[in-house]
Parts: sequence; structure tokens; C-alpha cells
Amino acid sequence: MTNAAVHSTPRSGSLFSQDQRTRRRNTAERRFRIYGQAAIGIAMMALVILLASVLGNGLSAFRQTFINMPVTLDADVLDKKGNRDADDLKKVTTIGYSKLLLNSLTQLIEDQGLAIEGLAASDIKDMISDDAAAQVRNRVLANPELIGQTVSLKVLANGRIDGYLKGRVSMESAERDSNVSVNQLRLTDEMMERGLIGKSFNWSFITAADASELRPEAAGLGVAILGSAYMMIVVLVLALPIGVAASIYLEEFAPKNRWTDLIEVNISNLAAVPSIVFGILGLAIFINFAGLPQSAPIVGGLVLTLMTLPTIIISTRAAIKAVPPSIRDAALGIGASKMQTVFHHVLPLAAPGILTGTIIGLAQALGETAPLLLIGMVAFVRDFPAAPPEGLFDPAAALPVQVYNWTQRADPAFVERASGAIIVLLIFLLAMNAVAILLRRKFERRW
Amino acid sequence: MNVMRQTDDTTATAEIKIAAKGVQVYYGDNHAIKDVDVDIADRTVTAFIGPSGCGKSTFLRCLNRMNDTIDICRVEGKITLDGEDIYDKRVDPVQLRAKVGMVFQKPNPFPKSIYDNVAYGPRIHGLARSKAELDEIVEKSLRRAALWGEVKDRLNAPGTGLSGGQQQRLCIARAVATSPEVLLMDEPCSALDPIATAQVEELIDELRSRFAVVIVTHSMQQAARVSRKTAFFHLGNLVEFGETGQIFTNPRDPRTESYITGRIG
Amino acid sequence: MSIGLLLAIILGLAAVGYVFGIRRAKSASGGDTRSLHSLAGYHGQSVFLFVAVPALLLVGIWLLVQPIIIESRVSGLIVEADIPQGGSRDLVMSDVRRVAGGLNIIAGEGGLSEDEIANMGADLGDLRSRLGGVGVALASDIQPNVFEASKRYRQMTNTGQIMLSVSAIALALAGFVYSIARITADFRARNVSEGFVKLLFIACSCVAVLTTFGIVASLVVESLHFFRLYPVSDFLFSLTWNPQFRGGSDLGIWPLLWGTLYVSFVALLFAVPVGLMSAIYLSEYASKRVRSVVKPAIEILAGIPTIVYGLFALITVGPFLRDYFAQPFGLGSSSSSVLTAGLVMGIMLIPFVSSLSDDIINAVPQSMRDGSFGLGATHSETVRQVILPAALPGIVGAILLAASRAIGETMIVVMGAGAAAKLSLNPLEAMTTITVKIVSQLTGDTEFASPETLVAFALGLMLFIFTLGLNVIALYVVRKYREQYE
Repeated sequence: MTNAAVHSTPRSGSLFSQDQRTRRRNTAERRFRIYGQAAIGIAMMALVILLASVLGNGLSAFRQTFINMPVTLDADVLDKKGNRDADDLKKVTTIGYSKLLLNSLTQLIEDQGLAIEGLAASDIKDMISDDAAAQVRNRVLANPELIGQTVSLKVLANGRIDGYLKGRVSMESAERDSNVSVNQLRLTDEMMERGLIGKSFNWSFITAADASELRPEAAGLGVAILGSAYMMIVVLVLALPIGVAASIYLEEFAPKNRWTDLIEVNISNLAAVPSIVFGILGLAIFINFAGLPQSAPIVGGLVLTLMTLPTIIISTRAAIKAVPPSIRDAALGIGASKMQTVFHHVLPLAAPGILTGTIIGLAQALGETAPLLLIGMVAFVRDFPAAPPEGLFDPAAALPVQVYNWTQRADPAFVERASGAIIVLLIFLLAMNAVAILLRRKFERRW
Repeated sequence: MNVMRQTDDTTATAEIKIAAKGVQVYYGDNHAIKDVDVDIADRTVTAFIGPSGCGKSTFLRCLNRMNDTIDICRVEGKITLDGEDIYDKRVDPVQLRAKVGMVFQKPNPFPKSIYDNVAYGPRIHGLARSKAELDEIVEKSLRRAALWGEVKDRLNAPGTGLSGGQQQRLCIARAVATSPEVLLMDEPCSALDPIATAQVEELIDELRSRFAVVIVTHSMQQAARVSRKTAFFHLGNLVEFGETGQIFTNPRDPRTESYITGRIG
Repeated sequence: MSIGLLLAIILGLAAVGYVFGIRRAKSASGGDTRSLHSLAGYHGQSVFLFVAVPALLLVGIWLLVQPIIIESRVSGLIVEADIPQGGSRDLVMSDVRRVAGGLNIIAGEGGLSEDEIANMGADLGDLRSRLGGVGVALASDIQPNVFEASKRYRQMTNTGQIMLSVSAIALALAGFVYSIARITADFRARNVSEGFVKLLFIACSCVAVLTTFGIVASLVVESLHFFRLYPVSDFLFSLTWNPQFRGGSDLGIWPLLWGTLYVSFVALLFAVPVGLMSAIYLSEYASKRVRSVVKPAIEILAGIPTIVYGLFALITVGPFLRDYFAQPFGLGSSSSSVLTAGLVMGIMLIPFVSSLSDDIINAVPQSMRDGSFGLGATHSETVRQVILPAALPGIVGAILLAASRAIGETMIVVMGAGAAAKLSLNPLEAMTTITVKIVSQLTGDTEFASPETLVAFALGLMLFIFTLGLNVIALYVVRKYREQYE
């Protein structure tokens, strides 16, 4: 063959100088990189804004405004018979207590010489939360010896006053607001100067029950946290054993046939069914068909169990699959039965993986809202459920549903509380995920 | 063994295309290539042989800076292409790789049609001004890769549907289509059966008339069949470099002799 | 006997059986436990299983079936005349159940003896107040037939309960005697109990199938109820959604479907480029350090519950879009809008798209990249012209999965998209979706048997079909894609 005929001309040009096309291509390359960085930037920014928005709105929910005042627990009012009998004490309603508080506050204002022009008696009364009387009453019923004394108490202030201290309410907005007057805010200013009113950490936000629409200052998460905890117990007790049993069967025993395929397809499809469909299932099967009570943690737990089961099965199967066959061969080789091999060797080795998957499944269940709405967990629940197992059938709220519930109320103070509740929820989730990560780190084994 | 080759190659100039001096390659802490000097002549087939893991492929990948894509890899020393240092700051590896094409061990056609596979290089480098020109480049490249006859009726079929040998010739056509000056081949026949191997070897023999071809192979017979010059690598060192005939018939280094007689490797 | 007590008795019997089984096995071995075929513990285990499992199964099935049988029997006692105007048989039956429950409480407190209840008629004047006293408030006086039905209901329930207790304990005892009696040194207790455990495993693995069955059954049955009250053609083809409390509602799915698809489209429009580009950047360009920071951060986004996104839409994104976009341009004044919900849902989907695409891009073999680099392609050319086309089927699958998530998402749209069913193109207007309406129709005050409530099940059915279809296609595409490189 001859070379000259098909000789292609070697391209001229030094490697050191870029031709125009290469420069253009390199510009495109840089542009593409910038797109990538921008995408990451957008994702990170979304995360930061999201967290900042929740934290910014919610952190203040953990601090609440209280009025520091001496309260005279007048024996003539609280215990007319003077025998300190518990049943007689209970006859005095919150109305009696709220009068007491009003008197004490009026007295305090006089003593301190706080003269606000045009301050009406009703203004003074509305400085105090409607819930404060009930709180004082509970305290007196618990310690009857307080009667007759003058005790210094931190009395819960009205939500609008709290809003004023947190910047939600201003003099201008108060003029248009029938629930708070400018005089009250002036009084608040004066009292602040003298240290009679101020914010302090609000435990009852975490421990107390929900409160009515008009008393945002008293609303707490106690029932919701308890309800969520009950549901998590149900999920753990049901989903873990069922999930592990199903995974063992599918990984170790199941023959390759149509039925096994059907189960597998079902599991992978259930993992992608929208959560609200599980809510419909709960409503139709557990409540309407089986007649279980509405708003009960048992129903929520059952629904969430069915929902988390695919997650747990998928991660458990991965953990079981990760145990090398040589371990099984070793056990089978010395005459252990298949079942003994599974229970003595495979399961213990897969346990960390199973636990991690379970915790992640639980975390998912804890944050789930939509199905719980359908089974009636949006109901307003003030009473704490009893201890399990009976308590599982009592009405209760759930953390994420409580958030939703509060966002549906008119008073903007509930937005603060909803964000605060989300912080509590996120702390729980963070703790659970941290445990899962620690477990994985500690027991991770590479074969 | 084709000793006749040396007499055939009278038209080839001894002009040096690539010169490597004192090349060192590190993979993290691992010193993979130790102080290698090699001159690659233009329009000649140069073979790199040696046992697995001796560094021949690593060195080959230095010649078109493919090692840049591996984070932990570091190259020292000087490699020049037509007298220009390819590791110079001003050099764009993209431009370099257009001049120094590469064919890999396993056939790796893109999941596109046969036509698009071959047209990929010309398109990104802007070698064709019109569709007709591109068609011409594709046809010429496929002819050069001795594949045209087999695929001319199904240019729109996926490249992955070809047989192993055809896929590798497609990859060669793809590399040839950018009209490179040097063609690097990393064990191009190791995944092929003997018949496909023979076809590829025949192809290499033709390609040498236009490019400097560097081929890495673990088959000594192949080196002897296709190359004029051979370099023997062992444990990251270049042990011996010279005319193929001389390396195989009269090795200077005892290690080379052990390898070609099958005592190490 | 309460169910709790019954369960305790069965489990107690089983525990006793376990101990007895071990003892019996040991004595059967004649002192040398090596002569047993199975370890003594397995004998105990097999007794335990044979006592507990059949009895517990019986209790479970009984509790499920008993109410159905009793309801159908009792329901026969109520004639059409007893059903008040505008009410339904279901409502009357719920009264029956409540009255029966009230009678139980009264009897339990010793207020009335069984004979007194049996002779009591509905005309007994203080019945309503008596029932009220134990917490069963009735809206109206009870019809005689209804009261008779209640008494019958209560009687049948109580008899059923007793029968259940007796038969469950009898079954447990039978299992006890049978499994103890067959223990000998040669009895293959391990094989028997392992076989039993395996059966339990199989039962557990069927829970998934049962769940799917339950979902399909409840959706289909209630949807059929709905279609009996409301024509299918109107539901599928009407362009208005306007539920009324007093009947005569328009319940066309199109406005909801439009809202759902619009919101999902906006979400994908945001999530797919961002998620895909960040996956590309992370897997192709980013240094190890950047990866180690950014990947977990994106995973955090994936772990945040949707209620948090909902609140974010409600208090931050919604007002922001209203104040800076909708109002200045005169495009609307609502803080909940398609754009609000779509954007926030897009943020939620970023980690989903990005982690799926990351897996898929990493599945493209390195040899493809080498081939492209070897020809002198730049990194972005390699990504755009080789990697992405190669990964395309997988990415399409990922997008379909993301779309199915978007369509089924509830809380973000409930809190961000609004409640007005509209067929509009303006993304700053409030629109509503299928999931929003499922929630609002099922949490409202309307009667359960009305079409306004039952429509939620038909909507749920549509949602289920949609998401299932998308998933099946997506999983198929992704699996085919993976096979290509395996």
C-alpha cells in the first residue's frame, strides 16, 4: 500500500495556544460547572432558609411572659368552712380564683403607684391569662396549706401581652384590636421597668395540654407528645417483629415462585403508595369496619405500622443479605437446622442494620401527618390519655397533627407555637437519626 | 515472528513524535512509574510489554494526560509532543487528546448509533463544516477501521449491538475520525477472540502508515507481530527499549530474557 | 370475660405448657437428655406454640366476624318505618350500638338487673336520661323496635363473648393436652416447632399483600357506594367541583386533577434541574470534601417531615410570593397558590431526584467516560453527550418516581395550595388538588354516607391508580436500565 495517497494532513498549531473553538468549549465547560454549583447553592440555600424560618418563628415559643406578683390566697374566699376539706375546696371554681388574681393585681398596681390614665378594671383583668386561675387553683388543691398565705407567684400573662413583649403586637395594632388596649400595653411598659413582668422558660409548652382558640398562651404539647409516643410504641411492637419475620422468610426461606414474586411486588409498591391512601385505609378498615375509636393512638399506630412496614422490610432484607453466605454454610455444615442458623448467626449479625432501618422507619412515621388527619386525630383533645394498654384507645393528639391544628387557628400566636412544636419534632427526629448513625458507625462491619 | 517488517519500513522516517524524559508517576504514596525515558517515533508501531501491574498502561495514559481524571495520580518529568511539553500549564488536555487519540482495553462504544459514535469526535472538535463533510469523515474512518463493509447498511443501529471485534474496530474508527497524530492502544485485543484479534492487528499495520501507534499488550507474540520497536516494563521500570527484533532475539537485560522465555510474568 | 383477661389466660396456659413440655421431655428421656431427638427446649416451644397460636387466631377471627354476623341479624329487626326522614339505616344501627353500650354500663354499675333490662320497654320514661347519665347522649327518643334491636344486639354480643371465651380456652386446652401427650424421646419437636415458626413467618410476609388488598378493597367498595349515589360520567367528565351540604353537588374531578398536575409540574420544573445538576456536580466535579458536606446536607432535606415544608409554605414562601410577586404585578392576592406549593414541593423533591440520579449516573461505567475523554471531549461534553444519554432511561424513571411523590403529597398542598377548585393558568392563584379535597371531605362535618364524603374514596382510588401506574412504569424503566449495565 502507498502511504501518500491517504495521508491526512496533520493539524498545525501549537499545543500552547488555544484555538478559538477550544476557548469556546472551555467557556461552555466553565458555564456548566457554574450551573452545577448554582444548583448546589440553591439546594443549600433552601435548607438554610427553611431551618432559619422555623427556628426564627419558633424559638420564642419556649419562653413565655409571666407577671411576678404576690397573690393573697384569701381563706374567706377559698375555704368558707375553714376545714380544708378537699371536696369543699374543689367547689370553688376558677371564677373565684380569677377574682382573687384580679384583686391581687389591682392591689399591686396601686402599691407600685402605677397610674395609667383611663385604665379600666377590665383592662387589668385581661392582663392575666384566663388559664392562670386554673393553674393557681390546681396548685392550691395540691397544697391546701397555702390558703390564707400571700405567696409570690409567676402568673401567666395574656397572649396579647406576651405578643407585645415578643414584638407581635404593637401600640398601632392594639388600637385596631378589640382583644387588647393601648392602656394595657402602657401598663406593661411600666411593669417591665419595675421588673414585674417578664419572660421566662416555659416548661408547660412541652408538658401542658392544648388550650382553646382564645388562650394561645396556655397551649402546650403534652398530649401530642404522649400520643405520638403511644403510636411509636404500637409501631415498634408491631412493625419490628412482623417486618423482621417477613424479611427472614423472603431472604432465607421463600421459594422462587409466583406467590413470592407477588409479595415482593407488593412490598415495593406499598413503599411508594401516597401516605394519605393509608389514612383512607385506616378510616375504612380500622374505624368503619372494625369499629375502633376515632382519634385513638392504636388506630394511628396501626396505620403507621402498615406504612413503615415496607421501609423496615427493605432495610432488614438488605442487612440480612449483607451477612455473607459463608457464615450460613459454616453453621449448616456442622448440622444446624436452617432455622437455627438464622436465629443463632444471621439475625445477630444483621441486628445493627435492622435496628438502624427500624429507627429510620420510626422517624418517618413520627413525622407523618396526612393519614392521621383522616382517622380523626385533628380533634381538639384536652385530656391526657391513660397509661397503656387502655390509654391506646383514648383520644389523643400527635405532634405533627398538632402543628397542623395550630396553623388552622386565627390567632397569630399559634404560628409561633406551631413553629415551636416543629422544633420539638425536629429535635426528636435528630435524636433518632443520631442514634441510627451511631449504631451504624459502631457496628458497621465490612465483610 | 515477522522480522521482514524492518525492511518494509523504509518509507517511515525516524522523526521523533513523543519524547518522555525522567517520567515518574505516583498513585498517592505508590510510586508506579520510576524514571522512564522513551522516544516514540512517528509512523511507527511501538509496543509496551511486561507483566501485569508493571506500569505499562499507566505510562501509556500519561501520554495523553488521561491520568488527569484520577485525583490521586501525580506525574513528574517531561513528556513532549513535537517538542512541546504536554504537561505545560498552557496546554489544554482537551486539545492534546484530540491530537493523541486512544483506544481502550474493553470495547466501549457509546450507547448511540454507529454513525453517532464515529461522528462524536468530529462534532465536538468542529472538524466538519457540513453534514456531507461529516458523512465523508464517518465513511473514511469506518473504511480505515475496516468496518465500513460490515456496517454501511445499518449506520443508525446502536453501536452496542455489534460483536466484540466489530465494537473494538468501531472504537478505533471513532479514534481515527478526529484525525489524531498519535494513536494509543491499551491492550486493544485482550477482550477479543483470535479472529477479531487478527483483524485488529491487520488494521494496526495499516494505521501505522499515518500515525505514530503505541500499543500496550501482554501478548509477546502480538508485540512481535505488529511492532517495530518494543519497550519492556517491569515493576514500574523501563527495563529495555529497542528494535522489536533485537528485544525478542537478543535481549540485553536478563529480566527481559526471563520474561520472553516465560520465567517471569 | 374481657378480651384482655382472655388473652392473659391463653398466654398463661401457653407459658405453663412450655414448662410442662420441658419437664415431660426430660422425664421421657429417662434422665439422659442425649437420647431425645430434639433439645428439651424445643419440646417446650412446640407446646407453647400449639397452645397459644390456634387460640389467638380463633380470638382474632372471631372478633372480626362476630360484629358482621350480629349486625346483619339485628339489622333485620329494624323496619323501614323506624328510619327517620333523611336518615339512613347506618345511623340507626349506630344508635343501636350506642344504646347497647349504655345498657351494658348501666348493668355494670348495678343500676338494673338483667331481668329488669329484659322486661324493660322503650316507653320506660327515664331511659333516655338514664343513658344520658352514663354518657350516652341520644338526640331523640328511641323507637320501640330500635330498643328491642339494642337489647338483642347486647344479648347477642354478650353471648358471643362468652362463647368466644369458652371455645378459645377449650381450644387452648386441647392444644395443651394434644401437644403434651405426644412428647416422647423420639418426637421431632424441633422440626415441628420450626415448621410452625416458618408458618408464622409466611403469615407475616403476607401482611403486605393483605395491606394492598385492604387498600384496594376499601377504595373500590366505597367508590362503588359513591357511584351509586353520583353518576360516574359526571365525576369523570364534569368541569366543576362544587360540593353542597344539602345535596345537588357538582363533583367533577377535572379542577382537582388540573390543580394536582399543575402543582406537580411546577414542583418538577424546579426540582428536576436543581436535583439533576447537583447530582451531576456532586458525582462528576465535586471534591471529596465538598461531597462530604453537601451530601449529608441534602439528605437532611430528605429527612424533614412534610408538615415542616407545609408550615414553611404557609408562613414564609406564601406571604413572600404574595407581597413581592402576586400583588405588585396584580396577579392575585392569595398567599396560598400553585407557585407556593409547587416551589416548596420542589424543595422537598430535590434530595429525591438528586439521590436517585446520583445512583444512576454512578452506574454509567467508567469506560464510557474514558472513551469520551480519550477523544478529547471536555468534562461537560462528556456529561451532556455521553453520560446523560446513557443514563436517560434511569433519569426518566427517577423523574416518574418524583412525579408520583408529587401527586400523592398532601400536607404541602393542604397548607400551601389553597382550597378553591379552579381551572386557571395563573400560577399565583390558589388552586386545589385531589389530596387536599380528600382531607377536607373526610374531616368535614358531612354525614359519612353522603356523596360529598364518599367522593373522597373515589378521589383516593384515582390517586392510587395514578401513583401506582407511575411507579410500575418507573420501576420497570429503572430495572431495565440497570440490567443494561450488569
